[in-house]
Amino acid sequence: MSESLPVGAKPFEFTGNAKEWFGIWIVNLLLSIVTLGIYSAWAKVRHRKYFYGNTYVEGRNFDYHATGKQILIGRLIIIGVYVLLNVLLLAVPPLGWLMLVVLIFAYPWLIVRGMLFNARMSSFSNVRFGFIGTTGRAFLVFLVYPILMTLTLFTTFPIWDRALKRFSVDNHKLGQATFKLDVNLSAFYMAFLWAIGFVVLVNVIGTLLLYFVFHDAVSPTPDGVQNLPVLILIQVLFFAAFLPAAFIYQALTRNAVYNNTTLQGGHRFASNVTAPKLLWIAVSNMVVVICTLFLMLPWAQVRIARYLADHTGLIPGGSLDDFVSQQQEAGGAFGDAYADLEGIDVGLPI
Amino acid sequence: MGDAPKLPGLRGHAYAARSSHRQPARLLTREGGEDLWVDLQNDERAVLASAHLSKLRIDAPLGSAPRKITFPDGAVFETRDHEAIEALTGKTRGSMLHHYEGFNARLFGVVAVCLAAVWVMWRYGLDIMAAVAIAFTPPAVIEQIDAGSMQSIDFTMAEPSKLTDEQKDEVEKVYRRLVRSLPDDVQEKHSFDLLFRDLPGMGPNAFALPGGTMVMTDAFVKQFPDPNVLAGVLGHEIGHVVEEHGLKRLYRSLSTYLLIAFLAGDVGPILEDVVLEGNVLLSLSFSRAQETSADEFGLALSDEAGFDPAGLKLFFEKMGKEYGDQEPAQWMSTHPSSAERVRAIDAFINELR
Repeated sequence: MSESLPVGAKPFEFTGNAKEWFGIWIVNLLLSIVTLGIYSAWAKVRHRKYFYGNTYVEGRNFDYHATGKQILIGRLIIIGVYVLLNVLLLAVPPLGWLMLVVLIFAYPWLIVRGMLFNARMSSFSNVRFGFIGTTGRAFLVFLVYPILMTLTLFTTFPIWDRALKRFSVDNHKLGQATFKLDVNLSAFYMAFLWAIGFVVLVNVIGTLLLYFVFHDAVSPTPDGVQNLPVLILIQVLFFAAFLPAAFIYQALTRNAVYNNTTLQGGHRFASNVTAPKLLWIAVSNMVVVICTLFLMLPWAQVRIARYLADHTGLIPGGSLDDFVSQQQEAGGAFGDAYADLEGIDVGLPI
Repeated sequence: MGDAPKLPGLRGHAYAARSSHRQPARLLTREGGEDLWVDLQNDERAVLASAHLSKLRIDAPLGSAPRKITFPDGAVFETRDHEAIEALTGKTRGSMLHHYEGFNARLFGVVAVCLAAVWVMWRYGLDIMAAVAIAFTPPAVIEQIDAGSMQSIDFTMAEPSKLTDEQKDEVEKVYRRLVRSLPDDVQEKHSFDLLFRDLPGMGPNAFALPGGTMVMTDAFVKQFPDPNVLAGVLGHEIGHVVEEHGLKRLYRSLSTYLLIAFLAGDVGPILEDVVLEGNVLLSLSFSRAQETSADEFGLALSDEAGFDPAGLKLFFEKMGKEYGDQEPAQWMSTHPSSAERVRAIDAFINELR
């Protein structure tokens, strides 16, 4: 977790600023509301374009090329199907089982379509990304692995997580150049153990504190009164133990993923985010956003984008002038719309 | 770029079509007949691309992010010199939007309008969306929703009614008298069917399905055989059906979910939960408003059919006495409290007289 990127790494740079993004964001929101949500398709494009367009490395920036119309059509298709399924489910309950089976197969397919659309609509230095993941592989990674993980009582969580990251990184291309993530499982298990270790440590300290400091408070109380302290305890545990643990895991695995990813042509990546800093930004962002009734959300988004960019680097293995776009059809945006609806991230792994 | 040669034209960088090859370049314009002719030159004065101004694809401005100009052959020119681009192209598509997105005092107004718009959307917009969706739902589907729901209820929780035929007839008579008091077009629009079931978990209760099917529990008929009470409660359920409360609630919750998912999609995972939970609490007040509205409908209907509207009050008074201490706080409940409803009924009856 060193503070500086390795020698030779060119840091990413985010040039957007909160003031400017606030103006775009609030107008996006207003137009989306007065058009009953229709404008949200164009709003999404402006959001993506602003953040991609302001992310630079080696003087070159990213860009997002989808049009509002494409996004809107994709969303209308997904909304139509979604409402239809809901009404059908009410009308013919036994159909639910059939729908479940269909959805199980549609889910990985939609995710792949979403990733494909997003990749092909994104570019770096005028060259489009590509995606070559298959539905079969997605079925394995998004459905079969989680089931296996549950059966092994989540001890295999790092294996599943690495499979997810690999599915995303290995299947993306920049022009014709492929990405490759070659990372040892041990890195993921180490992150996992650090996170668990942290939770255990906090619990031990917490129990000791409770025992010595609040000795009277933990003595038996009549039933019913106990519920409140338990609820508070769960909240405290969440903020003191699980949330930081999640950020420890995220920070460590993000670094592992970037530091072990290569792009054809000898290019490598670097990341040195730290858990305390990530946690501090996330928690303070949340507090500020809620206290300002969401008005500071743009500021929070810019802040995290800037931190992540500053702590991510590219180690070029040669000229960045040699990438060439592949001719490709992006297909419909319905997979992307589905991912938006379900809150699944199918964007570039940046 | 500091030591770039001092050459005329609009400075920026050029990419060849579909290539990441990037080089310093500039745009030069000259007269080209009826339209301006634009050349893209690199620093060695080699022309990389050229076209009429009207044939160029100029990206809409977006904050201070670089502007891109794409030539017909795919070559791209990129610059952060926004003023020069604007001087070249004049107002383009998206200029006005860009103007209003600028950070200045006017944005406070936009914020205020936004908050107002959220409120109007919640208060009226969702109802409009629900009304449109209801208009597009074929009646056959609504009937089928009733049939489907009854299947699930019978399968999971209901037993056949143990009432005698006389008991059922008494209730049915009250029910028919109420339905006959409805306007003709309303009578035709919904199929009003009254079903009896033994629902051990629900106590004395009655509920309506969107298509017009009504279910009354055995416990209700046994505990409240008084026709005035029956009329009050059945009138309330008829109110739900006529005012299409079930469908409205269904479409309202679907629309809010979709709107939040797409509008606030990128607020981040923790915050999205906050928004969704806040919405659940707000939608409860909507549900309580529906109950009050159905109460009033039922009172007016039973009065019209010649029953004593105080019957509904009797029901809530008894329910309040038996279950009053188990009722949750008003703000976290789908129904107003019994005491609240008795008060509202009194006020309404006074108005009727």
